[in-house]
Amino acid sequence: MKFKAIPLLLMAIMSLSSCGSSYSYKDHLEDYVFKLDFHSEYNILQLTDIHWSANTSTSSSMAYLNKLFSEVDSHIKANQGSDAHIDLVELTGDMFMLATPYNVEAFIEYMEIKASQYGFMYASIWGNHDRHGIYNPNWLGAKFASAKHSIYFEPDDDLYGRSNFVINLTNEDEVKWQIANLDSGASFSETAVSPFRDYDYIREDQVDWWVKEHDLAGKQVPTIAYYHIPQDENLKAWESRASRKHKFFKLERFADNGNERYASSFIETGKENNLKAAFMGHAHNVDWTVDYDGVVIGLGVKTGTELYFAHIDVNNDDPILQEGLSSVGISENFDLIGASLVSLHDDDSFDLEHLYFNEREGGDFVAWRSW
Amino acid sequence: MKKLFSKDNFLGSSFDKKQKWQSAVVYILLSIFFVLSSFTFFNFLFSFVDVAGSIVSGSMDVAIRDFLRNLPLLFVFLMTLWSLLLVHAVYINRDEEHLRKSIIKDSICILSFALVNLIYVIVRLAMGEYVSIAEGSPSKLFPLDTLLYSLPFVLFASLCLIYVFKKKEALPYLVPTRGSITTKARFVYCLFMALWLLFALYGFSSGILSFFIYDFAHGHAFYGIATLFCYLLSPAFLIFWELYFHGLKEEKRKEALLPWSIIGLSISLLGLILYFVSLALDLDAPSNAGFGMFPIMFSASVNLAAMLQVSVPFIVSLVALIKALIWRRDCKQRD
Repeated sequence: MKFKAIPLLLMAIMSLSSCGSSYSYKDHLEDYVFKLDFHSEYNILQLTDIHWSANTSTSSSMAYLNKLFSEVDSHIKANQGSDAHIDLVELTGDMFMLATPYNVEAFIEYMEIKASQYGFMYASIWGNHDRHGIYNPNWLGAKFASAKHSIYFEPDDDLYGRSNFVINLTNEDEVKWQIANLDSGASFSETAVSPFRDYDYIREDQVDWWVKEHDLAGKQVPTIAYYHIPQDENLKAWESRASRKHKFFKLERFADNGNERYASSFIETGKENNLKAAFMGHAHNVDWTVDYDGVVIGLGVKTGTELYFAHIDVNNDDPILQEGLSSVGISENFDLIGASLVSLHDDDSFDLEHLYFNEREGGDFVAWRSW
Repeated sequence: MKKLFSKDNFLGSSFDKKQKWQSAVVYILLSIFFVLSSFTFFNFLFSFVDVAGSIVSGSMDVAIRDFLRNLPLLFVFLMTLWSLLLVHAVYINRDEEHLRKSIIKDSICILSFALVNLIYVIVRLAMGEYVSIAEGSPSKLFPLDTLLYSLPFVLFASLCLIYVFKKKEALPYLVPTRGSITTKARFVYCLFMALWLLFALYGFSSGILSFFIYDFAHGHAFYGIATLFCYLLSPAFLIFWELYFHGLKEEKRKEALLPWSIIGLSISLLGLILYFVSLALDLDAPSNAGFGMFPIMFSASVNLAAMLQVSVPFIVSLVALIKALIWRRDCKQRD
């Protein structure tokens, strides 16, 4: 009896630690697809690293976001006409960190109000810290999935990450643009006794999944990808920036995995599949954007004043900071917070603008800078 | 094993009916304040780790802003912790004079934290630093809930002080007792117990919360169960140490320490093995399964915090075993 118990115990242990999912993404590609109507000058607002936490004054943060939305809406209307508005909001991760259920409910309630007010849908992507709250991550996923204006999909599948999905922007059933949303994970250890954790990266199965989704939409369809953690190409592009078009600020490291062994093939694969751009977040003091062999990759402008953000001092003689300043042509001190706006066109091109928005007592600081 | 639980081993075996009632009240209060301390510590730590993140990321202004905003969480934790210490001083005391001093000192501390919190919140509200009395985050009613929370502690501390000053003759509850700790060992002992208490408080609240916040699905159940087991061991060992071990008669403690330290070492070793095996089988589990349990680890991208938390039961058992062996050696030398 004693010896029979051991294999049974081992089987029990293995079953508790097995993936156990019978839902293969390869057999359910269409489940990961959302469809929205496309029109020229389709406006996607990227908000990133909002970082609501147990320390956040949600009232103050909402007051900032109210002004931000208002500024973006006014800007769009001024440039595109009074009927234009924000079409889609991409929340590229770290909406929360060390957050409570109250933070989550207040945030989603707020986004629903704004979505109704401004007429947009919003898509949420997992950042490394969204898993990091006093709530079950399944509950958070369920909240996003059930919100009226939220686009979110989290099946119990064999695809890495909690949530990966695409939004096909269609015009009379023709897919004009694809917006890919990927979960770039959180962190991992190489062994059970590693003292430190490395930042995660986009896995091969996720790349395979996206290629299949892109093939389903059409090989000619241009794609913009959104995820949270920068991949190795950001650093490679930075190191070779002298020969590339680049703009905005890089005031800290990208905080990517950094290990060649875990370099993702997403961007390289994307080059062969009409990937036009990839936008991410994660490093708050970076909104640096670069044309990487035809793919624009860049970090969004950190949204709000939670956790940490960069104070730009124009008199600071740091050469990297001065490089950023000269690219944007701003001559007064400001905080590197705001949002990023992408406008998609009919001809497969897009415009990108970074908004630096600071609340100030004597009048808010507003600066729009085009890519 | 039966011998270890024999009624005659315990100080309470000589209690009269009144003392048994008093003991029951003390146990209930210890339980209440331990649970409250555990969850208020968790709340404070959650907030503090975010502040630490701002400091490490170079945003001192954000760190100061957030720390000042959520300072009531620290006051709430401290008033609760000191209430636990006060009741503990009644539970384990040297003599009446020491007990009086402990109650007075701890009551003043509780009163101070509670009153300072009340004043602090009201002043910040008046200055417009809080948008409203219930501006929200971390809870819907923050900071109002901290004000309401402080009131029973003001009452509790006041009643303790009034009672001690009014009772000129002997305080009725004086058992169980413990001899004084020598000056040499006092600092080390107090530091060790303080750290153990903090790890136990954290282990208890995060262990309980993990039932709600941990994703046991998606193949992460083994890691979740192993971690939960380890996290709950710290408070379990502390509770056992306090309620069982300190309830024993002096001479019985020396007899009981060796077998119980071996049992504790075995259980904690099993916990460690389970933890590391479960982690080795599922390295993605910590990242994907819900990390409210590991704020320090996840914020700073270090595994050491979780490793320390799961190692504490092993460390305290080892210390107990060493102490038991030293006692045994001393006994033999005397004989």
